[in-house]
Amino acid sequence: MLTINTPLKKEDVAKFRVGDQITLVGRILCGRDAVLPKIVKMLEAKDPKVKDMRLAGSVIFHTAVSPAGIGPTSSNKVEIEGSIPGLSAGGVLMHLGKGALKPETVEAMRVHGACFAVTPPTTALFAYRTTSQKVLAFPEEGMEALYEVEVTGLPVIIAAVNGETMFAK
Amino acid sequence: MSITFDDLREAAKDCLVTAGSSYTPDRLAAYEQAARKEKKENARWFLELILENARIAQREKLPLCDDTGVPHVLVRLGTDCVLPAGWLEAIREGVAAGLRTLPGRPMAVKGDGIQRVEQSQGLFENSDALEHAPVIMRSVPGDKLNLAVLMLGGGPEIRARTRRIFHKRSMEKVIGEVVEWLSEEVLLLGCTPSIPAIGIGRSQVEASALMLEAMADGDVSKQNEWEQKVVAAVNGTHVGPLGLGGDYTVMGCFLKIGPTRASGVRIVTARPCCLVEPRVGKAILA
Repeated sequence: MLTINTPLKKEDVAKFRVGDQITLVGRILCGRDAVLPKIVKMLEAKDPKVKDMRLAGSVIFHTAVSPAGIGPTSSNKVEIEGSIPGLSAGGVLMHLGKGALKPETVEAMRVHGACFAVTPPTTALFAYRTTSQKVLAFPEEGMEALYEVEVTGLPVIIAAVNGETMFAK
Repeated sequence: MSITFDDLREAAKDCLVTAGSSYTPDRLAAYEQAARKEKKENARWFLELILENARIAQREKLPLCDDTGVPHVLVRLGTDCVLPAGWLEAIREGVAAGLRTLPGRPMAVKGDGIQRVEQSQGLFENSDALEHAPVIMRSVPGDKLNLAVLMLGGGPEIRARTRRIFHKRSMEKVIGEVVEWLSEEVLLLGCTPSIPAIGIGRSQVEASALMLEAMADGDVSKQNEWEQKVVAAVNGTHVGPLGLGGDYTVMGCFLKIGPTRASGVRIVTARPCCLVEPRVGKAILA
């Protein structure tokens, strides 16, 4: 298993293969249905506040953040999957969640050098592998706000990269 | 001895915490066996993570999954059972206490009907603002109250279907169509292995209630012929744990058949429960 520190580099992602097991260490962003489309709109509008999110090389984990913990939600929900191309264009290099994505989403990630990884909903285990969390933006969304979380070892598997996907039938 | 308001409140609270933080013994044993037998390395690694998560959650009474689910309550009420005044309120209070204890994810949506649909007013910050779904009740013989609290997560909800099937007087036809649905949905579910829960009844409401009973009562170590057929067929997709491929796309199937309509149609609810479901805590009060 490979250990990768965040932020990621494009050359790291280019070397990934579908099925690689990776342990993530460092800062990740957490956001889902409510905030990802808002960030895409900010990117499109060239909103200067988006710089504070430090999207370049980032990992966005599709999860809520709450006293119950963190764990992946379905990445193929309309507002999440629909945001992946725009976020990839904005510098996000890893989208982390669960469930199969459409071929056009996999292609959009390839164009921008980004990848998709899956992780299990092992919330109790994750509780021991996160050291801090804070709201970065959209606090009015509660558990669906954009969070920044520090992780000491988040286990993921690469599910789509370089135009390849483990979900192809 | 008779059931008191406090007994019922404490039982509902304990059932909710149990549901959110532990697997039933039959499912834990099935996961242990799957982790030993799975041949695909990534899938085996994932099954071992599920077991590690289960051990931590049970020991520390932590949520198995951050989507702690929407509480659903099932009451099987003995015909001779005497209940205290306000017994439904006792269950409501117990569910709220359970959500504070687990803790449940604070995900109750604020506002009036339209605002809730549009999620325009944000979320409540307290876990116990989440109301349980309307109580499902059934009359049974005896003097006891059987209580079950189930926590239903969002992922399986997206993938569940309630539809009519023209049965052509064939169980094979009905189950065959359900297997087709499930085989499409398990790939998109993400959190496999699943346990499909299936209810067959006369109306959409009845089929859903039967599905909930199947979730409450099912046991992966006691599978009937039709449950085994569903398991074999869906495992034939080789979606595998977390979609990683492998032999364990589903760990079992829970099927409950109720009364049927004198007609060419059967109403079926099928829910591909995710790998932490069915989350159920049960108590018997007398």
